[in-house]
Amino acid sequence: MSGRWLTRIAAALLFVSLAVSTLPRLVAIVNNARTLLPLPYEARRERQMGPWYTSIEKLRRELPRKEQIALIAPPRDLDSAVFASYYLYPIRTRIFAGRNAYRNAAPDRTRPAIVVAVNGARAERTEYDILRDRDLGAGRRIVTAPEFSAPTTSFVLPLAASLDGPSPDTFLIEATLVNPNAVQGEVRATFWPKGLVRTFTIPAHGTAAYYDFVYQLFGIMNSGWMRVESSQPLRAAFYFANRGRGGATLLPNAIRAATAIAPAPLHRDAKLFVINPKDTRAIVILNGESIPLDPHAFISRPIASVPVVSGDVYAFVTSRELNGRTDFLWPQ
Amino acid sequence: MIGLLVTVVLFPLVGWSLGRRSLGEAFLLGLGITGSVLFIAGVVHVPLVIAMVLIGVWGIGSGVWELRRGIPNLRIHSPVATIVMIIPLVALTFAAAVTPLNDFDGRAFWALKAKGIAHERSIDGPFFHGGTHDPRNQYPILIPLDGAVILSLAHSLDDRQLRWLYLGILAALALLVRERIGRLISPAAGAWCAAILVWIPQFAVELEGGALSAYNDIAIAAFAAGAFFELLDAEGRKSEIRFGLWLAFLVLTKSEGLPFALVFLAIGAFVFRKRIVTPAVITFVATAALIVWRLRIPAGDEEDVFRLLPTIPEKLHRLGIAIAAFPHHMLLMPRWGIFWIAVIIAAICVHLRKKPYPQITQMSADAWLAIAVIASILAMYTAVYVTTAWVPSELIAVTADRLLMHVVAPSLFLLALSARSR
Repeated sequence: MSGRWLTRIAAALLFVSLAVSTLPRLVAIVNNARTLLPLPYEARRERQMGPWYTSIEKLRRELPRKEQIALIAPPRDLDSAVFASYYLYPIRTRIFAGRNAYRNAAPDRTRPAIVVAVNGARAERTEYDILRDRDLGAGRRIVTAPEFSAPTTSFVLPLAASLDGPSPDTFLIEATLVNPNAVQGEVRATFWPKGLVRTFTIPAHGTAAYYDFVYQLFGIMNSGWMRVESSQPLRAAFYFANRGRGGATLLPNAIRAATAIAPAPLHRDAKLFVINPKDTRAIVILNGESIPLDPHAFISRPIASVPVVSGDVYAFVTSRELNGRTDFLWPQ
Repeated sequence: MIGLLVTVVLFPLVGWSLGRRSLGEAFLLGLGITGSVLFIAGVVHVPLVIAMVLIGVWGIGSGVWELRRGIPNLRIHSPVATIVMIIPLVALTFAAAVTPLNDFDGRAFWALKAKGIAHERSIDGPFFHGGTHDPRNQYPILIPLDGAVILSLAHSLDDRQLRWLYLGILAALALLVRERIGRLISPAAGAWCAAILVWIPQFAVELEGGALSAYNDIAIAAFAAGAFFELLDAEGRKSEIRFGLWLAFLVLTKSEGLPFALVFLAIGAFVFRKRIVTPAVITFVATAALIVWRLRIPAGDEEDVFRLLPTIPEKLHRLGIAIAAFPHHMLLMPRWGIFWIAVIIAAICVHLRKKPYPQITQMSADAWLAIAVIASILAMYTAVYVTTAWVPSELIAVTADRLLMHVVAPSLFLLALSARSR
């Protein structure tokens, strides 16, 4: 066999080895193009990318053109955020790998206020609070076996909060209310000092459980104190929890004024909290200094040591241990 | 349609402004000149719109002037090979016209940059300063600048306007290979090499890096092909200038373009001798412009390979996996068929042939040149795999085939050379 024929056979072999792989894929590509051909161009993208692209189109119509947008995506879905950024352009975007990245950027003044949550299935305009609530709802409560109070019709929670610190600190109130009675209980919760009121019912022999009492009831992320009143005596357990660190502290029922906090060593970020649970003004004496408090006031002061407090108010101290756990000093 | 029109008319005309070249070479030269001039204009803060208009007027004017002397002869050698080459290109043209862009890098980096530049008419505006999420902010932007020209003329930021550009680069590369190998070896060899090129799965149908994606690896392969053929044609008129231009295009197209260009310069020094100064100066200007631009904008999450070089000694344990990377991927049949096996056999055959003395000397020199380019580039990429801050196996999995694309022209040349030697 001549060299020329050898060359031809070798070239044919090479070509066949390429065509065996390329031809079927080329046919598939052309067939796919044929099925897309009758559709408008945007519909072709929808066909390619599914409902995800439809949600991007909706966002493109909704979002302001001149404001930067925060794209928050779970770390496993960052590619989706990158593509969302691509299709939303010229709407400017900034990608945050997870909700924590967004909240940790809180001190950054350029952090976009408008939030879009992106994952592999869709992209939607939302609020940070909603994303947080979604995450908390999908997670597990810290306290699985709450320590209930004796049945009572009125509780005062000296601290009611739904707040985020730097990741992973996630402060909230885990609440469980049990109605041991044969009739349903009407419950009225008032969040002070904002004065927001919500009512709800607990069926006879029923239980109401909350993973984030303040946010679930009032839809806000804030801190204050709370009065809970019920038509029936309820057994309740309210825990101040740090979901991010897995710590929880049972809150006392601050039904009466108390200010005598026993001296104890303090950790970092120590604060004195004072609440005025009454409907009238009150005076608190703090290390000899007289401070007037509005009705239902809730104040906090940074402290270096446990102060001497007096007055017709409720006072307590918090500080943070080195491991991030919040330590409470309650009044006697 | 505007995207198609700009792609097939503007870039070849700009390329022809450098003299009568084949259609493929003119397209690639036009692409490179447009992107490079706009880039340097952007670096020295000439408004991009003005630079675009000047390029358009100058390119079209001088291109048309050049064409008045006559359209280059389009002689169709080897009709079978030509038909074989045209079939996938026609199929891909239909697909590009209909199917939206759907790859990763194209949307995440390259087409996004084209949109950003077209929208802001600037290469260091808010887009490049965190105005929007641009993951590889300091990636070179020659091709995105070409894309921005298309988008600007189309008055649209829709990536459907860019689909022709990337397919056009593959077609131009095929035509360049066909014309140059046709001239250097034989028209039939050129025609068959071009046909083989467009049937390689990695070029034709691969989602990540193929002609239907907006990756820049075919562009790198094309510019490297241009530089390689100038090395073989070093005695040609102004070949050293064109060699320098191809190297500048490499530098401004992708991050690996700079070391690629340095390798070419080192090899070119043996070929061009004293004339290497011209390409070195052109490459230096492009590199300096790139560095100045990079200093002005924040870095993205791209890897700085040069900074990682001193870490080589502590990463020597990766040498095995890095060295095995390319041989392993060369044998991936769904992406390369037996292409690389054929290239290796061809490289051996070229040195075992029996031909008269003067011919064998020249062929041997050309073969060694091709082998030197392929080996040096792959050795350089292997070194990158050793130094990388990524997990080497993961990086290799997603890049090795695309890096192999870069040396396709010298590889096809070896195939053609071995066929001739029989």
